[in-house]
Amino acid sequence: MIEVKGISKKYGGKSVLRDVTFSAERGQITCLIGINGVGKSTVLKAIMGLAPLNGGQIRIDGKPLDKHLYEKVAFVPDVITMPASMKVGECLDWMRDFYRSWNPERAAELLSFFRLNPPDRVSSLSKGNASKLNLLLGLSLDTDYLLMDEPFSGIDIFSREQIASVFTSHLIEERGVILTTHEISDIEHLVDKAVLLDQGTVRMTFMCEEVRMNEGKSVLDVMREVYRA
Amino acid sequence: MNETGGPIVPFNNRDPVYLQVVRHFKVEIATGKLTAGQVIPSRRELAALMNINPNTAQKAYKEMEDQLLIVTEGNSPSRVTTDERILGVVREELISEAVDAFVASVRLIGVPVDELLHVVKRKYETMHSQHKEAES
Repeated sequence: MIEVKGISKKYGGKSVLRDVTFSAERGQITCLIGINGVGKSTVLKAIMGLAPLNGGQIRIDGKPLDKHLYEKVAFVPDVITMPASMKVGECLDWMRDFYRSWNPERAAELLSFFRLNPPDRVSSLSKGNASKLNLLLGLSLDTDYLLMDEPFSGIDIFSREQIASVFTSHLIEERGVILTTHEISDIEHLVDKAVLLDQGTVRMTFMCEEVRMNEGKSVLDVMREVYRA
Repeated sequence: MNETGGPIVPFNNRDPVYLQVVRHFKVEIATGKLTAGQVIPSRRELAALMNINPNTAQKAYKEMEDQLLIVTEGNSPSRVTTDERILGVVREELISEAVDAFVASVRLIGVPVDELLHVVKRKYETMHSQHKEAES
């Protein structure tokens, strides 16, 4: 389980996260929802140890962050971090060299599923294909947890459907997934737990099926209540 | 992973997804598309097929096992029950649910029952013949 306990973060004098608390279990898809600029990406960066905190703590399977974290948690940022001059195939080689948890069979499977070509340069990829490569690099690590920052943003409908199908497959089974989005409607029925963020704080956390069962509300209904209140 | 994209069942976002999956199976059973003892897809196959999270597929199967609609023995694939009594109840349940919803909505208009039955019969026959024409 990833436990985020009362974390706070300031950039300069500006407070971007205030006392954010939630947890993400293995075998579940947890979705951080909120409009742009509420601190969703910062939460993911904090979990990865990429954004030093001003308060609170993060524990993964009961332990504080350390260097072994990177074999246990994979992070798919919203922009591709591979150098533009590298070829797709070279990105895969690079990952294999740096991570013990790299799974080459899975990478090959995803390469053909996403129809990516190893000789293509990163700089020549369309936005949709760059997102797919980014996702491939994260999903091909055999990690217990997977964090994804806006995996659906700014890409065409077919790429979106293809990426959504990852969430219905063995690729995420048994893993704990945390993803962020500002657009829930396409993926409402895929998400187990929703964490609603607003101006750096958690407004509400709930299990989607429970809210449907007990209150007959969609995730969007709950969002309307929370954000318009 | 499902290459074809779109879901085969249009889910609504206000009812629990796993119950919508259970309902889909009930309709398949009631209309004879699934028959007694027939093998159904694995949980993983179902997740890909219906574009749902594997946990939801698991939960739907657990619910159907609890309702004795399907049976899973050891490691063999799950099958539709062969208990005719249970299969009969499924059909009745679906009919009763649909009629309840219809009655609740039409009651507000206050139509006399004879007139209502007449309208239902006529509509039903028109739709039926249109359906046949479309098929031929």
